[in-house]
Amino acid sequence: MSAAGRSIGSTDREVEVALFKRLPGDTAARDELVEMFLPLAEYLARRFDRRGEPLEDLVQVASVGLLNAIDRFDVERDVQFSTYAAVTIIGELKRHFRDKGWAIRVPRRLQEVGLRVNTVLPVLSQELGRSPTVEEIAARCEASPEEILDAMEAVQAYSTTSLDSPVGEEGAAPIDVLGGDDPSLEILEGWASIAPAVKELPERERRVLYLRFFRGLTQSEIAGEVGVSQMHVSRILSQTLAFLRGEVLEES
Amino acid sequence: MAGPSDLITVSVPPDSESVQVLRAVTASVAARMNMPYDGIEDLRLAVDEACAWLLALAEGATSMTLRLRPMDDRLEAVVSTDAAGRAWPPPDLEESLSWRVLSALVDTVSLDAEASGPSIRLIKRTLEPSRTV
Repeated sequence: MSAAGRSIGSTDREVEVALFKRLPGDTAARDELVEMFLPLAEYLARRFDRRGEPLEDLVQVASVGLLNAIDRFDVERDVQFSTYAAVTIIGELKRHFRDKGWAIRVPRRLQEVGLRVNTVLPVLSQELGRSPTVEEIAARCEASPEEILDAMEAVQAYSTTSLDSPVGEEGAAPIDVLGGDDPSLEILEGWASIAPAVKELPERERRVLYLRFFRGLTQSEIAGEVGVSQMHVSRILSQTLAFLRGEVLEES
Repeated sequence: MAGPSDLITVSVPPDSESVQVLRAVTASVAARMNMPYDGIEDLRLAVDEACAWLLALAEGATSMTLRLRPMDDRLEAVVSTDAAGRAWPPPDLEESLSWRVLSALVDTVSLDAEASGPSIRLIKRTLEPSRTV
């Protein structure tokens, strides 16, 4: 980088630091910071634009994130404010989408397909004696294979009460039926050294991991064993693995 | 038989938001090969895990690439980034959660250091192995 480039960067940085040193209390300094970084908030809001929300609303949400970032930023830390602000703003946008729930974000047609897949999967698996193909599921659901794939993808990202409901009438029962011992606890000890967070998992999540990775059961078999839908097993697995990788920390 | 023309290549920015694209493309190709639902789900999870593993080491990378090669009875998926100069494959593989997860989800996993950067190769059979359990 040229010397000129560096000096421009450092001038910005100095202005930024000077403004932050006048906080809290100096509303003019705060306003100036907001103005400086509003383009960043708008830019990030646009990245979430194609999810069916008016852009103005998203800019609003991103601006709240920016204000929070300004109020919480510690100028003594060796972090660029823009980096810190981007993380906070994206967090705010993600929270916005998460809080609004599946019902708003997922088109109605896709919700219906998702529910039908949920019902059809165990039936077809039983009939065929194996896991069905997407085409077979599509034919039974009177939907296109693309819609089935979209529903599979959507269920990962968004939670929904109806898809979380147990398939049978006694969703929680199987764990109790097994008796007092929880083999998953003991066996997951093997993972404790490489993924310490495994100890923090709720019993059901731990049990799904155990059945998949230690007993080698398929998702449909786990669904039957644990008493939830296969789509729910799918989401438990992906979210639990993300949690063990530490990804949840970034969102909280 | 699989030839170069059967190769599907998708490149995305090296960030976690883009993983969804690679996951969806993988699922779509696997579905067209008539892979059973359970197998597609496993492969999607595996692509997720492989991407997360590479992204953790992707500082300085400009792209993440997925190459899919459908074969008669299996689908090969190779995920890579152009993060150069990383120690890859990492030592103590058995002590890595990602390695264990991937080994359980697909039939074959291998880690390679390509000239352009680290890569993870996954192979999933399209036919479900007969189950005796």
